[in-house]
Amino acid sequence: MSEPSVKKRGSYLAEVLANEVVCDDHGRLILDVAHFPPTAPGQFIQLMCRPPTPPEAGRAIEWRDGQTPQFTQAELLDSQPLLRRPFSIAGRREHAGGASELDIVYCVKGVGTRWLAGVNAGQSLSVLGPLGNSFVIRRDKPAAALVGGGVGIPPLLYLAEQLATAGKETVAFIGARSADRLPLRLLPNADVRTDGAPSHCAAELAAYGVETAIATDDGSLGMAGVVGEAFGKWLDGSAVSAENVVVYSCGPEAMMEAVALMSLAAGAECQLSLERYMACGMGTCQSCVCKLRDDSAQGWAYKLCCADGPVFDAAQIVWD
Amino acid sequence: MTLANPLMTASGTCGYADEYADFVDLTQLGAFVTKSITAKPRAGNNYQRVIETRAGMLNAIGLANVGLDVFLAEKVPLLAALALPVFVNVAGTTVDDYLAVADALESVDIVRGVELNISCPNVKAGGIQFGTDPEQVRLITGELRKVCRTNILIVKLSPNVTDIAAIAAAAVDAGADALSMINTFTAMAVDIDTRRPVLANGTGGLSGPAIRPIAVYMVHKVYTQVAQAAGVPIIGMGGIQHAHDAVEFLLAGATGLAVGTALFVEPGCLMDIRDGIGDYLDSHGFASVTDIIGTLEV
Repeated sequence: MSEPSVKKRGSYLAEVLANEVVCDDHGRLILDVAHFPPTAPGQFIQLMCRPPTPPEAGRAIEWRDGQTPQFTQAELLDSQPLLRRPFSIAGRREHAGGASELDIVYCVKGVGTRWLAGVNAGQSLSVLGPLGNSFVIRRDKPAAALVGGGVGIPPLLYLAEQLATAGKETVAFIGARSADRLPLRLLPNADVRTDGAPSHCAAELAAYGVETAIATDDGSLGMAGVVGEAFGKWLDGSAVSAENVVVYSCGPEAMMEAVALMSLAAGAECQLSLERYMACGMGTCQSCVCKLRDDSAQGWAYKLCCADGPVFDAAQIVWD
Repeated sequence: MTLANPLMTASGTCGYADEYADFVDLTQLGAFVTKSITAKPRAGNNYQRVIETRAGMLNAIGLANVGLDVFLAEKVPLLAALALPVFVNVAGTTVDDYLAVADALESVDIVRGVELNISCPNVKAGGIQFGTDPEQVRLITGELRKVCRTNILIVKLSPNVTDIAAIAAAAVDAGADALSMINTFTAMAVDIDTRRPVLANGTGGLSGPAIRPIAVYMVHKVYTQVAQAAGVPIIGMGGIQHAHDAVEFLLAGATGLAVGTALFVEPGCLMDIRDGIGDYLDSHGFASVTDIIGTLEV
C-alpha cells in the first residue's frame, strides 16, 4: 500500500508512551501517533480527555441480535468532559515506520486535565489536529528571544528546537508562580540568577543551547517578580540590536501585552501565541475570538484564535 | 424531496461549507445545513462566547457571520463542490432582513431549502422574539412562505416556550414544509469568584447531551400533536452523539437528524451515527429508516 502523498488534519488515535509529573501543577505526556501530519511550533492539538471514540476506535455502541447494550454504570456515573481540550505541541520526534512522538505539557486546571493527569502509559488517547498556524522563523533575523509564562512555556520549547536548527542565537525568559510550579527541569547544579540574567539552567532549553532567565512571583527561584521585567532589562542592555531580534511569547495576557509593548517600542518584531476558551479548534464554533487591527471604521475585527491564530503579530493585536 | 440518508449538520456547528472536509467526508451526508446567514455581516458577541457545563455547553456567539453577499460570493461555490442538498439557516432582526436573504437564495442552485432561525437566544433583537409567540411565528412563516418559491421552508423551533406544539402548529398552518427542533435552551453559567456570568452575553444557549431527553420529548409531542397529521417532517436534534441517540429521535417521530455539538468533538461521528443506524435497522429486522419513524409505543 502506498502512503497518501498529503497527510490531512484529522482525528488520530495515539498511544501514551509516558505521562510524567513535571512540577506541582504540570505534567508531560509523550504520545505515539502514527502518520501524524507535519507540524510546526505554535500549532496545537485537541485532546479528548476521556477514553477515545474516534472512527479508528470502532463504534461506540455495537448492536447485536436486536439487543441494545446499555451503558455501564461507570459510564453513567463518570463525569467526563464533553469537549476536547486544546494543547500546544511542546516537541516532536520522528521514528522509523511513520511513528511520531509528540510532547504535550499540560497544567492541571479542571476536570479534563485532571483526567489527563491520571492517564497511564499504554492507554489510547484521541488526538485531533494539527490545528492553527505557527510561529514564523525569519531568515533575516539572526536572534530570537522567548518569553514564556506558566502553561505558555510548552510551545516555546518546540520553537527553541527549530530556532536552534535554523542557527538562531536564542535566549529565553521564563516566568512561573513559584519554583514548584515551573514546568521545566533544572540542570544539576544550575545557577539560576536572581538578577534576571539568562544562564544555562533550564534543561529543556539548554539542550538547544538556550540560556534562560527565570522569574517567580514569590521569589522562590530566580528573580522575584514578573518575567517581563527580566526580559525588559535584557532588551535594554543587550548587545544584539532590536531590529535583529524576533520576540516570541506565550503566557498570561498581561505578560504578553507588556512584552509586546516593550518589543515594539524597541523596534523588535514580536509574535504572540494567544489563548482562548474554544469548543472545536477547527474554525466552526466561532468562540475563540481575538481583536485584530484592520482598516474598518472601528479599527478592528474579530479573528479566530484556532484558525487564524493562535500566533499573531503583536503589532496587530488590540488589547482590551 | 428525498435525502440519501437522514443525517445532516446542525446550523452553527459546521461552518459555512467545507470547514470539516479534512475530518469527515461531508459528501456522505443527507444534507448540509449552514450556519446562520444574515443580510449584513455580524461580528458577534464579545468574548467569552462558550463554556462547557456538565454534559453540555453554553454558547452565545451572537450570529457572527460573513453576511449574505460574502456568503453568495465565497461560500456558495464551496457548497456546490459538496454536491449535496443545502439548507441555509437564515436569521435577521426584522422580517425584511429574513425576506431579503431568503429571496436571494432562491436563485442559488445548490440551495434547496431555507431554515428559518426564529429561535436564537443570543441576540438582542430578532431571533427568539419571533419564535416564542404563535402569532409572530404564523406571521413570519407566512411572509417567508411567499419568497420561498422553489426552496423548501424549514422552521427551526425554540424550546424556550410553554407549549412547543402550539408554535409548531402555527408554523405548519402558515406553510412550513418541515420543522427543525430543537434550538438551544436559554441558560446561564456563573463565575462564583467574580460573581458574574461566565459568558460576556450573560446568558447563552445550552446544547449537547444534557438537553437530549427534553429534545426527544418535544419531538414526540410535536410529532403526535401536529406534524404526523399534517404530513410535515421533523428534523430532530439536540444532543445527538451516537447512533443510539439518533434512533431515539427517529422512534419519537423525527424524519431527519441533525448533529451539532458532537461535531465540535469529532466531526467523524456523523458517519458512525449513519452506519450505526444501519446496524440497528439490520439487527432489529427493519428494511428502511422510514419503517421506524414515529413508531414509539407509549
